[in-house]
Amino acid sequence: MLTGWIGFDDTLRALDLLQQHMDRSLDPWVGSGKRFARSARPVEAVWPATNVFETKEAFLVKAEVPGMAEGGIAVSVEDDSLVIRGERKSEVPEGYKVHLRERPSIAFTRKLALPARVDAEAVSATLSRGVLTITLPKSKEALPHQIAVKSA
Amino acid sequence: MSDAISVSHDNGVAAARAYSRQAVAPPVDVYENADEVLIVADVPGVPDENMDLKVENDTLTLEARRGPAKEEHPALAREFEALDFSASFRIPAGIEASAVSAESKNGTLTVHLPKAAAAKPRKITVHSES
Repeated sequence: MLTGWIGFDDTLRALDLLQQHMDRSLDPWVGSGKRFARSARPVEAVWPATNVFETKEAFLVKAEVPGMAEGGIAVSVEDDSLVIRGERKSEVPEGYKVHLRERPSIAFTRKLALPARVDAEAVSATLSRGVLTITLPKSKEALPHQIAVKSA
Repeated sequence: MSDAISVSHDNGVAAARAYSRQAVAPPVDVYENADEVLIVADVPGVPDENMDLKVENDTLTLEARRGPAKEEHPALAREFEALDFSASFRIPAGIEASAVSAESKNGTLTVHLPKAAAAKPRKITVHSES
């Protein structure tokens, strides 16, 4: 299959294809759900994945943290940044053989710089169905200011 | 608290689902012991009523819709799309299809596929003739 020196990229690609063929033939579980569906982003890439939204009065941060209960997450505001710290434990159940493992245990610290000052005392967070929603009210200075125009 | 999910069984051909929204395959773990096969999937943001698990012949299908597609506020940064989840698995021989059950907790779905009695490893005692 590999003849001579093809080049580093091609070699890696060929090995990757070979690995995929081997996976499919040796273990029916690998790839069974994935052939026609795009995979969700790789778990280890950046955890948790977060989206940041802005309303007139606050920033909303949504983070995907499946498998976590409230006790495992610490949310804090440090120097105009939002810090989300925690550990998602994912243990292999005792006595079971592993066919496929795509959900690792993961300890994380994410720091998100906020575009404006927030009222740290008023930050709140809720966790529901594996989605963490953090509301960060903008501080008074950051809120839009109406300036009255007086005639001179 | 864990919530039980109802699993529907269908021996006919699956009705084609016209999915106008994109779907992704969730990260899954698959385990097996003497009694069952266990599938654990990360499906954050899916209300229980939107979780659709089907067992048809030898295929387990999961389709999970997340909340409304429309975001109410402008996004400053986006690392995940609120896409639906979709995955299918070939159920190995020896699974008691009618006994498949599932529960969800904290955005993680756990599916239990119990093995039929005949498929469980059985210890055979050897008696000696004396």
